[in-house]
Amino acid sequence: MTTASPSEKDLLIADLRHRLAEAEETLRAIRENEVDALVMRGSLADEIFTIGGDSESYRTFMEVMEPGAAALDGAGRVLYANSTLTRLLGKPLAQLQGKLLMDVLAADTGKQIEQLLRDACTARCTREVRFPRSGDIDLHFLASAIPLQVGTISGHAVTFSNVTDRVYNEAVEQSEHAARAVIDSANEAVLVCDRNGIITHANAASSIVYEGNRVGQAFAEIIPLDFHDTSGVLQADDMIDMVIAGTPLRGMEATAVNAPKVKDYLVSAAPLRVAGDRINGAVVTMVDLSHRKAAEEQQRLLMHELDHRVKNTLAMVASISARTAAKADTVEAFQKAFSGRIQALSATHNLLLRNSWSSLELRDIVRSELAPYVDDAAGNVTIDGLNIAVAPRAAIAFGLIVHELTTNAVKYGALSQEGGHVAVRAVGGNQGRTAPFVVEWRESGGPRVAPLERKGFGHTVITRSLQYGGGGAEFDFDPAGLVCRISIPSEDLS
Amino acid sequence: MAPRKLFLYVAGQTPKSLAAIANLERICAEHLPGQYEVEVIDLRKNPKLAREHSIVAIPTLVRELPVPLRKLIGDLSDTHKVLVNLGIGSSA
Repeated sequence: MTTASPSEKDLLIADLRHRLAEAEETLRAIRENEVDALVMRGSLADEIFTIGGDSESYRTFMEVMEPGAAALDGAGRVLYANSTLTRLLGKPLAQLQGKLLMDVLAADTGKQIEQLLRDACTARCTREVRFPRSGDIDLHFLASAIPLQVGTISGHAVTFSNVTDRVYNEAVEQSEHAARAVIDSANEAVLVCDRNGIITHANAASSIVYEGNRVGQAFAEIIPLDFHDTSGVLQADDMIDMVIAGTPLRGMEATAVNAPKVKDYLVSAAPLRVAGDRINGAVVTMVDLSHRKAAEEQQRLLMHELDHRVKNTLAMVASISARTAAKADTVEAFQKAFSGRIQALSATHNLLLRNSWSSLELRDIVRSELAPYVDDAAGNVTIDGLNIAVAPRAAIAFGLIVHELTTNAVKYGALSQEGGHVAVRAVGGNQGRTAPFVVEWRESGGPRVAPLERKGFGHTVITRSLQYGGGGAEFDFDPAGLVCRISIPSEDLS
Repeated sequence: MAPRKLFLYVAGQTPKSLAAIANLERICAEHLPGQYEVEVIDLRKNPKLAREHSIVAIPTLVRELPVPLRKLIGDLSDTHKVLVNLGIGSSA
């Protein structure tokens, strides 16, 4: 036995101390769960013993799972990811292991997974997450996390089930619902056709174009259209073909020959693109033009009517001017008489305008003509039974007659002195509205009346007006007061 | 100066082995860029390599140079402990 020198003893002791420290450190690490495998010295060779069991079984199980799956340690590091998930993440397993799963996902997705792991500390948690992809549609997954004991550590098992189809189908369904709601709430007839021109959808407003439910039938057969300004060259089937080929048509007037209610339409048609650039059919909009057509017709009639009335009025003014000039002795007399007559004409026109040129009551015409000369409160005029409406033609003539009678009464008759009175009333009724309606103008309390020595234009206006349909006017020169009976033709009574 | 070697003994893909690899890569990148080259030795593939440095517990990190040889057992999640125990520095 050899004896070690003092220096060798020191080295030996140092080595033993080092080994002891190493052994203590190993025991401490094992005790404090810092290791998960040990090297066991066998009789033939060294073996590796995994503390907490072998992880191969859960890896095999994960690999056969259809969803993407990963085992994570407590910090969220990838211990294992199956091939579905590695394909999804676009990285081989070796590049994922040991990395935080949150770091290999897009920022928002990573935060969602981080929250999911926090929520799943004791039980399974699930949430929907999105994997954005540049240049392609995003993928949607249902991510589930559940606590997992892997060897000596606590972590999570996470699965990713692809629900992209479901999400997009739901989105498409919602979009279709919205589109249908828009179409259904439209006031215009909206019809959707497929690429073969078959009606696939029609809103409620389409009931003005055809009767019954025509979904499933060819548009061109159900709604033949006669497009104006195309000389019959363009037919409904041509329109559908053009639109499906990609050419939209806007605002073409057409007649829907078979339409049960409204025939005139403003037709627009556009290609239907559900997704991408592919044209899936056509959307045809038909706007009811009947109101517009009626308004145009009304406007045309009004223009003709206006033209007619202006010509009539000008002719009347020319006649009044000529006849007033023929009877007037002086320029001043002409001016006064002519102005009065034009004002009478204007007063009746104003009344007619307020009534939209429909009809006027005789009572209102009389009041309007007397207004410049008579104070209502004085009580020297009574009007009775004249609440009868007459057509514009009779109204204008009656207005001129009343004007002449009024100016005559003011200058020479009952209204020329105090105590005079004029009664304007209906006489004899209007039996069955076939005979003329007779209005009597009766003056009293004025100067004594004598038959006319000279007949002025006023007399002519009165006796020649209303000379149609049994109408006219006649005088009775009663010495007690002038009487004039005016007959309104029954055809002008409203 | 050529980077010195660190030997990290792991056992396949056990959780602590994977954590140790990730932690050591992070520490080297953040604190010792270019100074060390890490050699990961998988004892599950070749158990007899454990004798080279008398490895018993896995994972274990070994620094051969400069002497004395240093070992650190565990998943290396404590950066400060890694730097101090390997004598690399204390400025974690």
